[in-house]
Amino acid sequence: MRSLLYPVLAAALLAVSSATFPAAAAPKTELMLAVHGEPDSGFDPTLGWGEYGYPLFQSTLLKRDAKLDFVPDLATAWTLSDDRKSWTVTIRGDVKFSDGRPLTARDVAFTYETAKKTGSVLDLTELVSVRAVDQQTVVFELKAPRITFLNTLSILGIVPEHAYDARTYGRAPIGSGPFRLVSWTGGEQAIVEPNPLYYGTKPAFSKVTFLFTKDDATYAAARTGKIDVAAISNALAGTVPAGMVQVVAKTVDNRGLAFPIQPDTGRKTGKGYPIGNNVTADPAIRKAVNVALDRNALAAAVLNGFGRPAYGPADDLPWDNPAHRLADADPAAARKILADAGWKPGADGILEKNGVRAKFSIYYSAADSTRQSLALASADMIRPLGIEVEVLGRSWDEIRPRMHSNVVVFGAGSHDPFEAYNLYVGTGAEGGWWFNTGLYDNPAVKAHFDKALSAASMADLVPGWQAAAWDGKTGYGMKGDAAWAWMVNIDHVYFVSECLDIGPRQIEPHGHGFPITYNLEDWRWTCP
Amino acid sequence: MAVTRTSRFWMRFLAGRLIRLAILLPLVAGSAFTLLSVSPVDPVRAYVGDRMNRVGPEQQALIAAKWGLDQPPLVQFGRWAGNLLQGDFGTSMIFSQPVAEVLIDRAGTSLALMTLSWLLAGAIGFALGIVAGALEGSWIDRAIRTYCFALASAPTFWMGILFLMLFSVALGWAPFCCAGPPGVVAADVTLADRLAHLALPALTLSLLGIAQVTLHTRDKVREVMASDYATLAFAQGLRRLPVAMRHGLRNAALPALTLQFAHLGELFGGSILAETVFAYPGLGQATVLAGTRSDAPLLLGIALFASVFVFTGNLIADILHHALDPRQRRLADAVR
Repeated sequence: MRSLLYPVLAAALLAVSSATFPAAAAPKTELMLAVHGEPDSGFDPTLGWGEYGYPLFQSTLLKRDAKLDFVPDLATAWTLSDDRKSWTVTIRGDVKFSDGRPLTARDVAFTYETAKKTGSVLDLTELVSVRAVDQQTVVFELKAPRITFLNTLSILGIVPEHAYDARTYGRAPIGSGPFRLVSWTGGEQAIVEPNPLYYGTKPAFSKVTFLFTKDDATYAAARTGKIDVAAISNALAGTVPAGMVQVVAKTVDNRGLAFPIQPDTGRKTGKGYPIGNNVTADPAIRKAVNVALDRNALAAAVLNGFGRPAYGPADDLPWDNPAHRLADADPAAARKILADAGWKPGADGILEKNGVRAKFSIYYSAADSTRQSLALASADMIRPLGIEVEVLGRSWDEIRPRMHSNVVVFGAGSHDPFEAYNLYVGTGAEGGWWFNTGLYDNPAVKAHFDKALSAASMADLVPGWQAAAWDGKTGYGMKGDAAWAWMVNIDHVYFVSECLDIGPRQIEPHGHGFPITYNLEDWRWTCP
Repeated sequence: MAVTRTSRFWMRFLAGRLIRLAILLPLVAGSAFTLLSVSPVDPVRAYVGDRMNRVGPEQQALIAAKWGLDQPPLVQFGRWAGNLLQGDFGTSMIFSQPVAEVLIDRAGTSLALMTLSWLLAGAIGFALGIVAGALEGSWIDRAIRTYCFALASAPTFWMGILFLMLFSVALGWAPFCCAGPPGVVAADVTLADRLAHLALPALTLSLLGIAQVTLHTRDKVREVMASDYATLAFAQGLRRLPVAMRHGLRNAALPALTLQFAHLGELFGGSILAETVFAYPGLGQATVLAGTRSDAPLLLGIALFASVFVFTGNLIADILHHALDPRQRRLADAVR
């Protein structure tokens, strides 16, 4: 339905492009944003609010800057014990919640305890305990060394123990962040104003309104000139309204083909889902697909040009390893890989090896037209190799029983390096869950990851993370096992008022829209 | 004696309806829950959404346990029903808020939308029907009928998008979204603001009902126009429209009214689409979320609410029918 609407909308709006409004001349004190991101369950960090972007109303122990380095927020110092399982975090002593009461280490411990047991999308199962040692010191004990816990420290906003009621907090949050919630109408809008007690940079705007419109209504709203920042779908990007500029954020919001790695031996998961695929279990098939894909063409055709090739789960993030990449869009090289591995054309031109016909199905979520286009276009690039490809759109719940034995279009992309661990080591089918659906299992890769988790700093994690992709001999990356065929990273497109300076952009994670607000308190109006 | 007989009739009538409602609601809840539990949608998967690469199996189990999803369906249903009998509708997974609160929050905006469009549809539909019926076969009749068929076949969301582009974007007459002006705190929104934001969604939604009422009214008026007393009136020199107004109005009013109330169910369904297009935060939006993300407590709450809503509509239609037309009551008594 949506894919039909876009072109119609765009055409109709172009036809009435005379109806654009000039930008107001006076300096603005109020902003209107339409960048999605409404948390249905309210602005409660212990339920996952603030995971993308910044929690606005609460502050976190650490923050990520534009380069994704960890910088202090509430924390003034953070140290790791020698066994790498215990974090000691010292917090500022001058911070007050928006109700005037001081924020202490006790509130930090309370927040983490609450988040751990509440059973939300925030996974804190690696945390064993947290305790406040004194007013300004918190100690976290982890089950096992995990340096990526820093990421958790940077997303969980601190709630006040004295004013926290799980039933009401999400609707009337009290925190120590740069903003205060003024009003929230579910499904419609949230209005915020600066928190006068905030200890950091004071926001330049006296009021910011978040509109929770859908893609087409957002586009319509941007054309009326009433919106200062709008998250625009890639299909509608390109036609920028007067008074606005188009900001294209690079992302790791990626889409890729997850291959079943295990052979089909009749094995099933605990839920009875079949495991394995004798075609994609051959690394040559996976590598050939990786080399044959023309990722630039996919980005141009499917993403309307607003995307870039994806070679791994976290392209261009600090822990990415470009050395694992192979040149792509090269069907000749792909054919050679297959021939060298013993795949020979059968009577109808489809490759065969030891009686196995080179044939697999690609499943995609039928609700997602971008994934559909990616699946269809990539199949067209794979077929000339002599591989028979069937493309099937299904609901997630129909894909689930088939995802350990078929190729599936998945998306990923996080600022948390641990995601790569989940994708390539996670318990996958044995645990009955969604990451590592192909049951990829390479002890050398796991060893690199595990060693890196015991690193003393995020910088020390990088070499191990890079070695997991490609260490010169093996790895999950293209030169190694080619466990996935990553296709594209989807750019996040925003229309931004030409008078608004929103500072540098991060490489954005999965989830288009709200991440743009990570530095909202630094935004400035530049017109007189 | 006539008074006691009438009041006895009404008592019996209402008691009968209440018993029906008492049977209906458990049936609705039971079948809604059965549908949910055989649906392939995994509520945990739906809850976690696009974070599925970061939420591990242990956390999955914790989420399932929190919402009782690790229990067999019958136990889940029994627990829900037990709480309901104590007046507790449960807690919505999506909104992390008591279902009763979600319903109250959302029902207000939806009811305003539905009432306005219902009145619009009734008034416009009835007027068009009278005119078309009175002037059967004329170009006006043909135009009205064509208009009705077009309306009946155009999907609500499509008309909504067209209206949005025309009135909000191109002409700038109407707001482009929401139940109140963007940037204005809910408490400061005036009645005029609310009506302005209501106009376009209400107009869109009313289109759904206009065609039906018009065509039914037209039929009824046609019947009247072909009757003996109408022929007599024509013979006395009266013109078609006045005859239609005098005789047709009364005869067509009752079926039109019944139809209007009986049509509440469709109205409820249509509001889901209209609300989605205009980002109008009512029950419709909540229904879509509850269904696609398998939020059982919320969906059951909405199903019960919708049943009571539609049931009340039908009940009012029946009451009006019996109250305005004494023949119905006598008929009911005679049958008994």
